[in-house]
Amino acid sequence: MRTIASLIALAIATPAAAQTLAVTHAEAWTMEGAEPVKDATIVIENGRIVSVTAAGGVPPGATVIDARGKPVTPGLVNGATQIGLVEVSGSPDTRDDASTDERVPGYDPSRALNGNSTLVSLSRADGITRALIYPSPSRHAPTSGEPVFARLRDGVDILDRGGVALYAVIGGGAWERLGARAQQWAALRKLLGETKRGMAPPESEKKKDKRGGGPGPGGPRGGPDDTIRDVVAGKLPLAIQTHRESDIRQAAALASDLGIKVIIVGGTEAWRAADVLSVAKVAVILDPQVNLPFNFDQLGARQDNAAILTKAGVQVAIGQAGGAIHANYNAGMGLREGAGIAVANGLPYIEALRAVTVNPLAIWGRGGGALTPGADADLVVWDGDPLEPSTNAMNVIVEGRQVSNRSRQDLLAERYKDAR
Amino acid sequence: MTRAMLFGSIAAGALALAGPAGAQRAAPLPWQEDPFPSRYQAPLAEDMLLKGATILDGAGGRVDGGDVLIRGGKIVAVGRGLANPGVREVDASGRWITPGVIDVHSHDGTFVLPLTAIDREASDVSETSAPNVADTWVETAVNAQDMGFDRALSAGVTTIQILPGSTPIFAGRSVVVKPVRGATVWDMKAAGNVQGFKMACGENPKSWGADDDNEGPTSRQGVISYMRQAFLDAQRYKRAVEQGRAGTGAMPPRDLKLEALAGILAGDIRVNLHCYRAGDIAAMLSIAKEFGFRIGAVHHATEAYKIPGLLREAGTCAAVWADWWGFKMEAQDGVRAEAPMLERAGVCVMMHSDSPADGQRLNIAAAKAAAAGRRIGIDIPPERMIKWTTSNPAKLLGMDKRIGTLAPGYQADVVLWSGNPFSVYSKADLVLIDGAVVRDRSKPPADPVSDFEIGRAGAGR
Repeated sequence: MRTIASLIALAIATPAAAQTLAVTHAEAWTMEGAEPVKDATIVIENGRIVSVTAAGGVPPGATVIDARGKPVTPGLVNGATQIGLVEVSGSPDTRDDASTDERVPGYDPSRALNGNSTLVSLSRADGITRALIYPSPSRHAPTSGEPVFARLRDGVDILDRGGVALYAVIGGGAWERLGARAQQWAALRKLLGETKRGMAPPESEKKKDKRGGGPGPGGPRGGPDDTIRDVVAGKLPLAIQTHRESDIRQAAALASDLGIKVIIVGGTEAWRAADVLSVAKVAVILDPQVNLPFNFDQLGARQDNAAILTKAGVQVAIGQAGGAIHANYNAGMGLREGAGIAVANGLPYIEALRAVTVNPLAIWGRGGGALTPGADADLVVWDGDPLEPSTNAMNVIVEGRQVSNRSRQDLLAERYKDAR
Repeated sequence: MTRAMLFGSIAAGALALAGPAGAQRAAPLPWQEDPFPSRYQAPLAEDMLLKGATILDGAGGRVDGGDVLIRGGKIVAVGRGLANPGVREVDASGRWITPGVIDVHSHDGTFVLPLTAIDREASDVSETSAPNVADTWVETAVNAQDMGFDRALSAGVTTIQILPGSTPIFAGRSVVVKPVRGATVWDMKAAGNVQGFKMACGENPKSWGADDDNEGPTSRQGVISYMRQAFLDAQRYKRAVEQGRAGTGAMPPRDLKLEALAGILAGDIRVNLHCYRAGDIAAMLSIAKEFGFRIGAVHHATEAYKIPGLLREAGTCAAVWADWWGFKMEAQDGVRAEAPMLERAGVCVMMHSDSPADGQRLNIAAAKAAAAGRRIGIDIPPERMIKWTTSNPAKLLGMDKRIGTLAPGYQADVVLWSGNPFSVYSKADLVLIDGAVVRDRSKPPADPVSDFEIGRAGAGR
């Protein structure tokens, strides 16, 4: 068995641009069908997947990674986490997750993302290659800001795409910021309604509304106002972090009333509104580990939430998995454990894999994530079932390059492993 | 009532016998008394023979295709091809049997979900009016209707130590419970354990002391010196009590705080120490040596892997997470591989939860730790991993002759798992406490429902 250290040396020694990789003898979960391709050869060139072929050949000069019959999946995607924004959560000076500016409704975390964070390297070592990073509640409730996609390549620059949605938080416990939940819904509807009215001015006034860069297709993005306009126009989703059944039904009604795309984040009681969510095409990003209510909004917490929603035709992804600590500090392990728990509670295995690969990318409007020719080569070679917490990620490949899968924890453990 | 009182006096007597002070066997010393006796009565036990399972006995042994015979609430035999003496037979082939999981670090009943603004205003997790609340008994705050107990039971947890929190330096006495439904905590309170106690060092107590509104030390060195002074006072108090008992001096007036600390010095009360950094742990082990007591376990102990020798020599266990790290400065160096590293170094190590969520998956925590161990070349087999959630925590609670191991004479706290207990897909099919079936997944509704949960949105899970 090759050691982790020699794999890192390999990755460093290989020229970046023209790297050709071949993963051989893989049980390849391409996410195209419900079954893996056995004994697959996955050929990767210039950051993209060239082919996935049963018993396929290896191109000359390719660096070979022998998967030895073990599972290979697309790089896992965390549907909602804050890695790269949070370092020591108990110490606010190491956090960049929230805006404290009361004047603007937005917070764009893309300029704060830190690929050198120890939380990032650990989640990469656990097989995460992309993650949706969301802001915490701002002083401009109920909106928090604009989530971004991170791509966990080596190095500090992990921004994949900014401004992928507008993020809002609604529910009990928010009384210090805005008041009871009816006020929160009213504020959100007012924000969207005013934006909508502002977007459809009389023909003669159209030219005046150019402040902030404008929402035109392909034009430069100007900040939160643009994001809100894109949400109202149905181009970007509105993510609403909320848990109680009544709020989830409000969210579905909002989607229908305004004709906008809505995502539920959290959604502890979403299973109770599965039919409505399915009709309104509202997707849910949830934590399958939850079976206890942290507050009164979550009384209906149950671990078959994902199974019930999926069966009802609701698109499900996994995020915020494991609650306060694990959601960020184990953004990889918590995600995998959550998916495993969902399977243990009735979610079909392939659906659980989708919920941590293609689904979060589709829900957040990013797309891709399958192991198909032409797709971005983000994939992971495992030493067992990726949904078992006892499994290790052996090789992590991001954009066609092997990246470090050694975390600071690995270095500390190695330093002290012979301490007596 | 008579029965309960009788039970209480028996329990107090057992404590006195267990104490090292042989000369005072007649009456318990003040710190040995239990003003809140257990009313726990084991549910009706069911004799049964579990056939053909993979058995991890909790003490390091493994039997493939093995049987477990349970009669009168006790384990009678463990082995292959046991003859059925005419009891209910359960086909356990393809399934796994382990002792019931023991969680030595829970706040169930005081960190009661759902949390509300009332908890934020004044929580029952710890009494925080002073850095020394050694006089408190957390059981007097425990809400037996916490659904955390039900979730734990359904996940194969059969014994739970509820500790007070880590804000005070001397946080008070713990209670050990069985997670069965009862109207009060005393219907759940276990018998036969050593009385536990909670202490804390590091960031939590010093940060609280640093708050302008509170009294108490504001630094690590302040916390340590506060502890030494308190133990000096307790030493004097203990000597006075002993002289009073021997008739060689006046009995001092009762002092509930000093009593508890004197009980620690006497070895009757066992310290569960919240501590993260290697230096903090080492300083605490020095204090224990100075005052002649043994710390039962260092909890959290995120840097214990750096100083395994100190723990081994002190006979102090480590109660650890698999993967809580990073959220504060003293938790920066937490590593998932800690449990296998400590196991290999010969330290008594166990998984603990500090969380009603993670407490449902202590075996999965062990699985994560073992996987991280493999990354640095340490391979711990399942029959040793299971010690981290069964016999080692039983040792800390002083119950290792009663629970935590599948062997003849042990109480039948047993879990029949649907598969490998370290797999995320496995479930507790059958949970036995004292030989009684307290959960049977094949007979819905399998999960217990608390008074809080009944009739609310979550009911009928």
